[in-house]
Amino acid sequence: MHMLRAALAAGMLATAPAWADGLAAGTYKIGFITENTGPIAFAGLSYDHGAQLAAAEISASGYMGAGTGLALVEKESASEPARAIQDMHQFIADRTVLATSCCILSGVVKSLTPIVLGAKIPLVVFGATAPGLPHPPLIYSVTILPGPKDTATAQRAADIIKPKTAAWFVAADNDAFKARMAAAQQAVEAMGVKTAGVVSVLSSDTDFTAPATQAMGLSPDMILIYTTQTPAEGIITALRSRGYDHPIVGNDVLSPQSVVQKMGKTVAGVPFPISFSAALAQTPEAKKFVGDYTARFGAAPDIYSAQGYAAVYMIAQAMKSLSGTPTRETLAAALAEVKQIDHNVYGGEIVTDGQAATQGTLIVAWQPDGTLAPWPAP
Amino acid sequence: MLADLWAAYQSSVGFAMVNVFFALSTYAVLSAGVLSFASVSYAAFGGFIGAQLVLNTGISPLLALPVSAVAGALLAYAVALLFLRLDGHWMALASLALVLMTRVVVLNAPTLTGGVNGLSLPVDLSLATLTVLLLLLMLVFHRLSGSWYGIAVRAVREDPAVAASLGMPARRLQTIAFVISGAVGGAGGMLLAAMLQFISPDTYFINIAFTMIAAVVLGGSYHWAGAVAGAFVFTALPVVMQAVLPQIQDVANGAALLAIMVFLPRGLIDPRAWRLRHAR
Amino acid sequence: MLLFVEQLVNGCALGSLYALFAVGFGLVFATLGILNAAHGTYASWAAIAALAAVQHLGAPFPLAVAAGVVAGGLLALLVDQIAFQPLRGRGGPAKEGGMLGALITSIAFWIMLDSLAGFATGQQSLNFPADSYPARMLHLGALPLPSMQLVTIAAMLLATAGIHALVRHSRFGAAMRAVGWNGAAAALGGVNPRVVIVVTAFLAGATSGLAGVLGGISTQNVSFTLGEGLMLKGFAAVVVGGYDDVRGAAIAGVALGILEVMSAQYLSTSLRDGITYALLLGFLLLRPRGLFGRAAFLRA
Repeated sequence: MHMLRAALAAGMLATAPAWADGLAAGTYKIGFITENTGPIAFAGLSYDHGAQLAAAEISASGYMGAGTGLALVEKESASEPARAIQDMHQFIADRTVLATSCCILSGVVKSLTPIVLGAKIPLVVFGATAPGLPHPPLIYSVTILPGPKDTATAQRAADIIKPKTAAWFVAADNDAFKARMAAAQQAVEAMGVKTAGVVSVLSSDTDFTAPATQAMGLSPDMILIYTTQTPAEGIITALRSRGYDHPIVGNDVLSPQSVVQKMGKTVAGVPFPISFSAALAQTPEAKKFVGDYTARFGAAPDIYSAQGYAAVYMIAQAMKSLSGTPTRETLAAALAEVKQIDHNVYGGEIVTDGQAATQGTLIVAWQPDGTLAPWPAP
Repeated sequence: MLADLWAAYQSSVGFAMVNVFFALSTYAVLSAGVLSFASVSYAAFGGFIGAQLVLNTGISPLLALPVSAVAGALLAYAVALLFLRLDGHWMALASLALVLMTRVVVLNAPTLTGGVNGLSLPVDLSLATLTVLLLLLMLVFHRLSGSWYGIAVRAVREDPAVAASLGMPARRLQTIAFVISGAVGGAGGMLLAAMLQFISPDTYFINIAFTMIAAVVLGGSYHWAGAVAGAFVFTALPVVMQAVLPQIQDVANGAALLAIMVFLPRGLIDPRAWRLRHAR
Repeated sequence: MLLFVEQLVNGCALGSLYALFAVGFGLVFATLGILNAAHGTYASWAAIAALAAVQHLGAPFPLAVAAGVVAGGLLALLVDQIAFQPLRGRGGPAKEGGMLGALITSIAFWIMLDSLAGFATGQQSLNFPADSYPARMLHLGALPLPSMQLVTIAAMLLATAGIHALVRHSRFGAAMRAVGWNGAAAALGGVNPRVVIVVTAFLAGATSGLAGVLGGISTQNVSFTLGEGLMLKGFAAVVVGGYDDVRGAAIAGVALGILEVMSAQYLSTSLRDGITYALLLGFLLLRPRGLFGRAAFLRA
């Protein structure tokens, strides 16, 4: 409501010449497919909240020009392809929706791709990690791809820990994680570390005592984990409670604050790469993002919130570059010109061939008191 | 305005039509007195075989459709041979087990199914084509229900012993029902693949099994039109709830389903209620 | 060898959860003739209730378990009275009409209770605080034995034995079996079917709840996914074990747990579920009444 009022007020102040140069005043709609129910709703809520905050900020600050604002039109998919397709068709039919944003699962993106390309509506993917999803000028991805950061983390860990052997956990039914593990394994083997064995789990598993026992039976000097969040938590808990006291290396799924709230000391000291962390926010943009997000939603933002936030800012930035009344076509062309996302919380975010990326790899670990610190401790 | 509304909801109508195929596949065996979830497995079999055919030969999905139907029918025949020996309750459990196995098989047969990656199927299936196919299917079910077969399976459902004494062989009729169910389910699987344009092991799983049985019973399991109505209502329900009660849409879906079953236990379309009204 | 024994214990503990779930599921299926799709949600809600008892009331472990078990039972009773009771004695042919309608209303409750459980946990997977349950690792020589695993196995044995004794060796159990065969005949024989229904629904919900609380603690996962995971495997145990004898379901549950752990350890994880379900199908075709099934079977 106050968004609308701000837009109206600004619109009244900005008199006729305003639209001669810059974006015409008005509130523009983005179709946002939410995943606030279903198996990965814990992440879905974060993406949604991040996007909501971005839209509110952009409207309040007049980021795209005086009298302009963004509104999210949300439709739920519960991560199901059929529901996402129906949502997308509804957005396409609503000519006032200029762009769309969606998807944690790569499979859902693949279902939507032909529809989006056919209807020529811009889509910014906020969470799916498979490489090769973008199709400029229509489909973009602001997901920070975790693969390269995993490999860098594994190498750094091997360099510091100097293990003779390593055991690997992998989600056998998730191709993205299989590829990430294979790349990291190859890099670490090249450093002379022997693979003691690979233990497979499935993403829907809930009991990890047996896989932990299996891994400990291999007596590795280091264990590395490439699975989604729930299995990763379960594996670490099972390993530690069975008395495994060698180093464990995780991945970016351990980064949400909720992980340390849930696991406490058990996850302390497990290194993982991170592209955004509320606890280590340094730039003014990142600090403001953390502060406003926490005030609005009562919890600190996580990497998923940051990506939902980035998706909306990427669209806003392209809108800002347009003059007069934008259309889906002009917006798509403008998105193709975005080479870096100016307003970001990572301290730098470039876009190459439609895929956003951050530079460098920050490796961190949770501390026993629930804070995050660089790893290894300086 | 009306055109926009149509554009917005045309894919929902498309999914509803595909769900009619699944619902009629389930109805085909239910009308012979067998509760089976195996239609999901026929759909998976038909869907993946049809998708591979289209991807490898470049033929139109419409030409692949009969192949999918035959594949589904063959699988259903095998299922009938193995499962029809079981008592009704066990049959239901066994078919549920088959659905669970289907996903494991799909995951572990990557050359046919693409494994965890799934298959992209960039085809265009127009709503007009789908409508024609659906009308054809409804015509078939209409003719079947008035045929000797239709009367015989109803008798088998009401009382197998009496039907047998009238010279209606229950096992044979139920086997025919399975084959029909398999053909319709296999074709439905292919149509779903064309609607989604991407299929994976999760496409054909428990959700569809429960959706299709719920659609049939909701619509009324004593007339084929019940399956059609049920599929449309069941597809529309989440769309409507999303528009009306977005915060608690899933709870509202469940509550609506519960209310319909409690107040209309024989479903929305109930031939007995019609007969009673006419008799009055 | 030590690894084998360790995994055997792991398999027994995991299987005990499947067994507990299967016992309740089978009880409802045999006595009330309902294929209850909502049975898994009782486990999720029991775990949520137990966690609430720990967090808000500071309940010690035995009381938290009791809270979960009672919550599971009451929820099952509520679902039975709202979703199943109105359908009894109505609908088409007795053999399928009741079962079909109840299947659909149970799906309705499954959808609602799962969704509400998601809201209750804030869509997160929660866990029990480390000091709220027996977390000590016991040692038998070199063999590590987590106390929660021992508690789980013991709970399964006690619950199964108790329910078996009730069903097979008490007057009430005879009434339950009578209702299972034929509700009308049971009523003629002086048994109040209503009481049998209520008690059966409660017992089934309570065993599912027990599985939920113990599973929620040992897998560190309290969310709506808890019940769904148990459901798929517990269902397999019912089919293999047979639903008209709780011992069969219990043994099958434990056997499935062991098989699952061993096939992941010595064969392959991706084939693990395939092996489970292939065995399931084999049992269905070769021994379609389950482990303890009777050959003679009256058609109702």
